[in-house]
Amino acid sequence: MIAVIALAIGVAAGIFIEPSVPLGLQPYLPIAVVAALDAVFGGVRAKLDGIFDDKQFVVSFVSNVLVAGLIVYLGDKLGVGGQLSTGVVVVLGVRIFGNVAAIRRHLFRA
Amino acid sequence: MSSPRRDDLLGELFRNPLDPGYAAAAARRGDASPPKSGRWLTAAAMLAIGFLLAVAYHQVVAAAPGTTKARADLVADVQARQRTADDLQRRAAELRTQVDQARDDAVGDADSAARLKALAAGTGTSKVTGDGASVRVVDAPPQVDPVTGRAAAENLGLVTDRDLQDIANGLWQAGAEAVAVNGQRLTATGTIRAAGGVILVDFRPVTSPYEVTAIGPPGLADSFGSSGTAKRFKRYIEEYRMQFSVKKRTNLTLAAAAEPPLRYARTPSPTPSGGPTR
Repeated sequence: MIAVIALAIGVAAGIFIEPSVPLGLQPYLPIAVVAALDAVFGGVRAKLDGIFDDKQFVVSFVSNVLVAGLIVYLGDKLGVGGQLSTGVVVVLGVRIFGNVAAIRRHLFRA
Repeated sequence: MSSPRRDDLLGELFRNPLDPGYAAAAARRGDASPPKSGRWLTAAAMLAIGFLLAVAYHQVVAAAPGTTKARADLVADVQARQRTADDLQRRAAELRTQVDQARDDAVGDADSAARLKALAAGTGTSKVTGDGASVRVVDAPPQVDPVTGRAAAENLGLVTDRDLQDIANGLWQAGAEAVAVNGQRLTATGTIRAAGGVILVDFRPVTSPYEVTAIGPPGLADSFGSSGTAKRFKRYIEEYRMQFSVKKRTNLTLAAAAEPPLRYARTPSPTPSGGPTR
């Protein structure tokens, strides 16, 4: 419950503060969002499975975002930014889909 | 199907998308309830995630190409002005009927009123109804290269202003008494011209499909259909894949053309003698 309220507060803060993203950080934003979504759906699924762990969730979120950012940064420096980003999106996308399917099975039994 | 291999990274990802850390942590924890302090950590992470989502959304909205925005603005502007123009046109039609009514009342003399009406119908400054014909011409679709799927740069089957002029003249020749192109009534001073690839009828743009409607004698469609102009267009159907058809129509209503504006001439102020002034 606290988590959902915190999410709502975060969204509200983002909407009202309207922070401008520095130009250098802009390429990382989409990847960071995908990584965050992966952590969130993983957490929700773990909660439904009854094995949610706060520390695991926070660590997975932070490390997801950091690793995704690092990969994009490396890709940029190596000149293969697009391909590496695609790899990140594919892997995280597959995990998001799998977790959402599990959540769906939990909620609708289908 | 081959048996799953241990080093099949994507397969492993598909089978088991959940971070194995959760299961490991649960196993480590055993039956003990989770520590409460972690809740606030999770809340902080969720706060950060929500903030991230909102920022990303803002970013996407802000990065929406300026051209798209400008285009949307222009479209809205055009639509608003079109609505205004439609309103004005409706008002003009209303006023025109009022003027006609007032003129009929003022003339009083039934003969002159009828003559005036006939003249107005003939010159195109009043609405007319009747049976007649409609001629439809449509631009040929662009030639598409079957290999590359790209449209050819030049399309020879486009309807030109000259084509519409010929059709209108052919209809007049076949005895039409009133002609309109896409609803634009033609008058003695009406023009069909092209500017920048757009056909203008009385300086108003018309686009394909072009529909030239005319009111005339019963055999109008047939006599136009057998005229040289129609024959030429029928040839265009085969050569350029242009579309062309002549149809007999009943109960056509052609709108009035705009009154030609007088730029230099003025109606004289009423003089007592009524004679020419020096």
